[in-house]
Amino acid sequence: MKVGVSYALPQRQIWLDVEVDEGATVQDVIERSGILQQFPEIDLSTQKIGVFGQLAKLDQVLEEGDRVEIYRPITVDPKTVKRKRKIPGAKDDD
Amino acid sequence: MIIAILSLAVLGLGLGLMLGFASKYLKVEAGALVREISDMLPGSQCGQCGFPGCGPAAEAVAGGQAPVTLCPPGGPSLALALANKLGVSADLSGMEEHIPKVAFINERLCIGCTKCFKRCPTDALVGANRQIHVVIRDACTGCGKCVEVCPTESVQLREEPETLESWHWPKPQELPAAS
Repeated sequence: MKVGVSYALPQRQIWLDVEVDEGATVQDVIERSGILQQFPEIDLSTQKIGVFGQLAKLDQVLEEGDRVEIYRPITVDPKTVKRKRKIPGAKDDD
Repeated sequence: MIIAILSLAVLGLGLGLMLGFASKYLKVEAGALVREISDMLPGSQCGQCGFPGCGPAAEAVAGGQAPVTLCPPGGPSLALALANKLGVSADLSGMEEHIPKVAFINERLCIGCTKCFKRCPTDALVGANRQIHVVIRDACTGCGKCVEVCPTESVQLREEPETLESWHWPKPQELPAAS
């Protein structure tokens, strides 16, 4: 089955397609993709991983078409960031 | 030998008649035009035309409820192509040549709220709760949906910088048709 792997920096973004066997886990796909060799700075013990925005563990089993994403933590404290004024009547997804 | 020729001839005649009747009685009304138009539209379902997606927009254009200039990402070239297809004249005065833009996230303002990536129609946003969100430039269509929802204004549309990776050989200019 075909799954994706993605890692993104501000200036360079990677979205690879990887062919793996059924029942492959997040860990298998990351190793298979060779993304760790392309970005030696990735540290899977500290950086969070997910599938389409949902955080996942390394042993999670994937389905066809999933995209494994390696994240970087935010660098700011959300409380200190100025928020945009809410536009009245604007719809909110949350 | 004769049996083979006869049976094939009968088969051909029978199927030919069936096709003839089918094309007359099972004719698809206007569906083909809608499909052709929706093939010409970008297909990114960005909604900038005011319709929910490219399919309804194509229906509206084909039915004449919407002008051929409805698609901002398509720009004047698409408007002209649609006008040719429908045999109408296009008023391009309100349209400017679309400069391709992609979203860019200022990571010093991103709070990892996940609002932008839920909106992205092309999965060009990578991010999760409390993780930095990044736009995959090659997958971004510049529809601007993420810009509207960002609570900290960290997403902006920018002209795509020309780099060694993004540069393409320009298309040859069309010569005036020799007559």
